[in-house]
Amino acid sequence: MKPRSIFTGFLSMALAALMLVGCANQMEPAKKAINDIEAAIAAAGPDAAQYIPDQLQAVNSQVVDLKAKFDQKDYKGVIAAAPAVLAQAQGLAGAASSAKQAAEAARAAALEAMNAEWTTLSGTLPAAIAAIESRVNILSKSKKLPANLDAATFESMKTGLADAKTLWDQATAAQASGNVEAAVTAARQVKEKTDAALTALGMTAG
Amino acid sequence: MEEKKAKPAAAEPKATGENPYTQWYEVKKGDTLWKIAKERYGDGSLYPEIFKANQDILSDPDKIKVGQKLRIP
Repeated sequence: MKPRSIFTGFLSMALAALMLVGCANQMEPAKKAINDIEAAIAAAGPDAAQYIPDQLQAVNSQVVDLKAKFDQKDYKGVIAAAPAVLAQAQGLAGAASSAKQAAEAARAAALEAMNAEWTTLSGTLPAAIAAIESRVNILSKSKKLPANLDAATFESMKTGLADAKTLWDQATAAQASGNVEAAVTAARQVKEKTDAALTALGMTAG
Repeated sequence: MEEKKAKPAAAEPKATGENPYTQWYEVKKGDTLWKIAKERYGDGSLYPEIFKANQDILSDPDKIKVGQKLRIP
């Protein structure tokens, strides 16, 4: 073997060794970079998954990419890409907190609106039911229905009244148990039925 | 019962505690409770229902006055 070949071989080996050492030197920082990102994601807590799932998913996808790079020993690539991903991961907690506050404010506003609707409905529906029931009871004694009311409509109205009373019981029970949403939902159905009955009877609110 | 004369619908009095869905009828000339019950219920014999609902202003079912505003239960 010529001296030049020996030297070249030695140089190649030395370079390879240096590269190996260089890679090994970058492996730990790359691993740490990924760990830091995962810690930032974990710090965002379950709120991130609940309130900013798309943003969380985007960061998680980038972590998957970084890990793939790491597995391919592309530590340099990991270290180069990690700061941007870490910044996004560190932003998750704040974004989740803001989104949570916005969601809670929206929920509070919706609850307030439902409470107001309940107040209105609970202030009118019992009176409507009582007025309809009174008229239906009287008409039930009638030998002949008035000209503007046929037997089929009257029978349907009686069924509607019974349904309205049942639904109203459900609405008040739901409200009493603190479930305003269920209370309002049932009360809206009661209103539909009482409105239909009032129209059929030619009755209006004073 | 003697049929009394009356008039069509009217503005309802606002009484405290009154059901807002209470229906009102303003007595016209020629109206009677029987006639009103016949029109509203299809059966004149149900006039006592109207009388009972208006006992605060009626003492006799045969005595209604033009312009009186009656509850129609």
